[in-house]
Amino acid sequence: MGRPVAIIGVGQTYHGKRMDVSYPELVREAVMAVFKDTGLSPEDIDGVVSGTMPSMMEGIALTHFYLADAMQSAGKPIMKTETCGSTGVSIAHTAYYWVASGLADLILAVGHEKMNEGDSQATMTTVAEPFYQRYFISGAPGVFSMQSQMWSVRYGISEEKVRDAAAFISVTHHEDAFDNPYAHIKMKVSMDDVKNARIITYPVRLLDVCPNSDGACAVIFASEEMVKKLNRKPAWVKAVGYRGDEYFFGDSDKAVWESAAQAAKEAYNQAGIKNPRKELDVAEVYNPFTFQEMLFYECFGFCGPGEAPDLVLKGTFTRNGELACDPSGGTLCTNPIGATGLIRVAEAALQVTGRAGAHQIPGAKLALAHAMGGVDQFNGIMILGSKL
Amino acid sequence: MSKRVGIVAVAQNAGAESKDNFYDQAYRVTKEVLDKAGLTRDDVETIISASSDIYHGGISCANAYYWETTGAFMKNGSRQDGESLFALFYGAMRIMTGRYDTALVIGLCKGSENPPNDTCTLMYSDPFYLRNVGLTETMAAAFQMRAYMEKYGITEEQCAKVAVKNLGNALGNPYAHRKGRYTVEEVLQSPRISDPLTELQCAPQSEGMVAALLASEEKAKKLSRKPVWIKGFGSSIDAYDIGDRDLLDGQLKNAAARAYRMAGIKEPAKEIDLAEISEPYAFQELMWCEDLGLCRAGEAGKLIDSGKTERTGELPVNPSGGVLANNPYVSRGLQRAVEAYLQITGQAGERQVEKKVKTALAHGTHGFAGQCHAVAILGL
Amino acid sequence: MTKEYKTIKTELRLPYELAYGATWTRFFEGMKEKKIYGTKCPKCGRVLVPARSFCPRCFVDMGEWIEVSQEGKLVAWCYTNYRYFGMPTEPPFIGAQINLDGTDVNFLHLIGGFDLSNFDEVRKIVKNGMKVRAEWKDDRNAHIMDIRYFKPL
Repeated sequence: MGRPVAIIGVGQTYHGKRMDVSYPELVREAVMAVFKDTGLSPEDIDGVVSGTMPSMMEGIALTHFYLADAMQSAGKPIMKTETCGSTGVSIAHTAYYWVASGLADLILAVGHEKMNEGDSQATMTTVAEPFYQRYFISGAPGVFSMQSQMWSVRYGISEEKVRDAAAFISVTHHEDAFDNPYAHIKMKVSMDDVKNARIITYPVRLLDVCPNSDGACAVIFASEEMVKKLNRKPAWVKAVGYRGDEYFFGDSDKAVWESAAQAAKEAYNQAGIKNPRKELDVAEVYNPFTFQEMLFYECFGFCGPGEAPDLVLKGTFTRNGELACDPSGGTLCTNPIGATGLIRVAEAALQVTGRAGAHQIPGAKLALAHAMGGVDQFNGIMILGSKL
Repeated sequence: MSKRVGIVAVAQNAGAESKDNFYDQAYRVTKEVLDKAGLTRDDVETIISASSDIYHGGISCANAYYWETTGAFMKNGSRQDGESLFALFYGAMRIMTGRYDTALVIGLCKGSENPPNDTCTLMYSDPFYLRNVGLTETMAAAFQMRAYMEKYGITEEQCAKVAVKNLGNALGNPYAHRKGRYTVEEVLQSPRISDPLTELQCAPQSEGMVAALLASEEKAKKLSRKPVWIKGFGSSIDAYDIGDRDLLDGQLKNAAARAYRMAGIKEPAKEIDLAEISEPYAFQELMWCEDLGLCRAGEAGKLIDSGKTERTGELPVNPSGGVLANNPYVSRGLQRAVEAYLQITGQAGERQVEKKVKTALAHGTHGFAGQCHAVAILGL
Repeated sequence: MTKEYKTIKTELRLPYELAYGATWTRFFEGMKEKKIYGTKCPKCGRVLVPARSFCPRCFVDMGEWIEVSQEGKLVAWCYTNYRYFGMPTEPPFIGAQINLDGTDVNFLHLIGGFDLSNFDEVRKIVKNGMKVRAEWKDDRNAHIMDIRYFKPL
C-alpha cells in the first residue's frame, strides 16, 4: 500500500569508542558517507528524519537542533522519531511512510548515539517506572537475564544447553565482526572464554553482552521514480511491522513474546512470507544479548518454541547456515543504540543489493531487519527485497 | 496528495497543575477522544504520540512509560520528539499511504512535574560552548525581540498588546492555565525576566495531554458529520548556532510555504480565516504573523494596533489565548490544531469567534529563537 | 599515531517532582500498613498488581480493589553483580519477578534473606517456581522499599 519505496544508499561510521570526534562530527561522518555512496548532495534531499535514545545518554535534549548542521537539514522539513531501543527501525519506518505517502521523493534517515559520553546503564534505569520498578531493573542485562530464564524454564531447556548455544552465538558473531569494517568489537573468543567470563547478571556473562558504542548510520529512502531516475540498485521495502507491550515489566508474558511475534506476523503478511526460515536469506536481528537472540528466532517463526538452542548448535543460523542471522556481527559487537536499528536496516539493504563486501551472503534476495526497545517492550521490523 | 485525511474528534485537559498521575491523565484524554468519536481502543489502527524525555518527569524513553495509556498495547505506533505537530503530520502520512484508516495522535506533557522550562531548554545547548554561556530559549528570544524592534520600529507596547489580547482571550478558555484582564502597563511592569522580556510576555509551564483522532476520507465521513480536513502541512529547521543565523529571517517562511503549497493557498492573508500561533514570547506572535504572510514584513505592529487579530476581528489570532495562556511545551503545537478544529466546527464555546471559519492555520515552534517550525492548514 | 583529543567532564542533575495520583497514593499508603493492593479489571477479570487506574488491554477503568497475597511464586530472578546509578542496595543483590498468589501479572522486587556472597551457594537456594514471602521493614514510609525483599519459604 502506498507508493513503492526503496533504500538507495547507506552510510555508517566506524563504530567504537570515538573520542576523536564530537557528537556532531560523528553524525556528519555517516551523512557524508551516504552522500558519497549515492552521489547525491544535501540539496537533493526533501526531508530528514533523525532519532536517538534518550536525552540522558549524552546529556543533550532534542538533538535534532544540535545536529542540524551535521545532518545538513537546515532549511528542510524534519521529523524526530524516538522509540527507545527500537528507534533505528522506527526512523526507517518514518522515512518509509513519508515517501510512501507521496509527500516526498528522497528522505534522509539518520540514527545516532555516542554512548561513551554518558552512563548507559544508569540511563537505561531511568527508562524504568519511577515509583515501583526503577530500583530493581539492573539496567538492560537484568531484564534480559530474567527473560531468558522464563523462556528456558517454560520450554524445559536445560541450563547447560542454553549456556552452550548462547556461547556459540557469541563466538560466531565475534568471528563475523572481523569481516565487517564498521564493527566495534573485533576479538577472537572461544566457547570457554564466553562460558567463564565474569557474571554480569546471572546467567548473562560479559561476553554475552553488547558493548557501548559511539556510532551513526544514514540511509536514503527513495520513491520508485527516483530509483529509476538515479539508476540505483534498490533495496525495496517489502514490509514494515511494529508492536508494543505494556510498560510494566511483569504485565505480559516475555517467554512467548507477543510484541515480537505480532510485529513479525504483520510484516510477513505484507511481504507474503509463509515460511520465514526458508524464504528469508538474511536476518539482522537486534541481539544485544546472546540469550535473547534465540527468543527472537522463535518469535519470528524461524523455528518452533524451545527449538532455538538445538538449531543454533547445529549451525542453522550461521553465515553458511540455512538462514544467516547477523552476518555483520550484529548488535552484540556494535551497539550505538539510536543508530543500531538503522544499522540493521542498512545491513539488510547491503545484503539484498549484493554490496555487503566480505560478509555478503551469496545471492541474498530477501532480508529482515529488526530492533527492540523499552523494558522488553517494543519490536519493530522492516523487510527488504531485491525485487519490487 | 494521494488521500484526504480528516480530524473527527479532539480532547485535551486543563493546563493548571494537577495532582493526577501522568499515566491517569493520559488515559483519560485518550478515552475521551475515543468516546467522542464513538470508537473503542480496538478500532484505532495506529497511534503516534509526541513527548520529550526532558519534559517527561525524568523518565527516559518517554513513550515506553505511557504506551498503554494511549491505547497502544499490541498496536503499531511511533513517537515524535519535541513537537506534537510532527505527530499530527506522521499520523496523516500513515493514513495517506492507504495502510490505515484511523490514527490517534496525542501530545503528552505534564509541565508541573518538570524542572523550569529554561532548565530544559539549556539542555538543547552544546556542552562545550553555548551551555556554559547559559543560552536558553528565553535568552535567545530576548536577542530576537530586540533585533526585531530595532529593525522595524516595533514598540514594546505593541509587543505587550499581544499578551493583553491573549491572556484576555484565555478568560473564555476553560483549559487555559493563565488568564486575566491586563493593561499594557501591567504587562510591561511585570518582572523583567530577560530584558526586554517581562514575565507576562513569557509563556507559563503547563500541563497538556492533547489528542486528535484522524481518519481517512471515507472513514472520516462515517465517523463525523463535520470532519475537518488536514489540507496542508510543512516544517523546517534552521542551522543550530544562533550566531550562524539571521534571527529575523528564519525558517517559518519555508515551513509555511510548504503547507500553503500542499493546501493550494496562494494569498494567506485572504484565505486564512483564523490562526492559532505558538508564541512562547509575546512579540513572536507579531513576527510569526509576518513570516506566515498574514501581513507584510515589519507591519505586525500595525496589525495588532488595528484590532484585526482580536477574537472579534477580521483575522482572529489565538482566540484560545495561545501559548502565553497555556504552555504544555511539547503538546502546544497540537493544541493549536485542536483549537483550530474546535473553531472550524463551532465547538469552541465562549472563545468561539464571531466570523465563520472555513480555513484555519495551526503553528508550532521549538528551539532557540524558533530554530524549528511546523505549520498545518485545516479546513472544511 | 592517534592523537588524544580533549574531553569535558560534566554532570547533569535535573529536579523533577512526580505526582503519584489517587490510585498510586492509595497503593503506597497500603505499603505503609504492610498491605499490597491490586485492582481487578471489570472486563477481563485480571488482577493487576501494583494497583492500576485502568486495564491496559481492555482500556476501561479498573474496578474493585483487592488486597493481594504477600506470598507468591518466583518466576524469574537475576543475580546482579555490578554497580549502577540508582541501584536499590549494594551488589550483589537479586532482582526478581514474583507472581503473587491470586494475581495475573508478575510483581518486580528483590529476593533475599540469605547469604548472597557466594554465587554457587545462591544457585543451590534459588529456584524458579519456589515460594517466597514479603519481609517488611519496621520503619515504613509509603515506599516500594517498605518491603525489604521477598524471602524464600
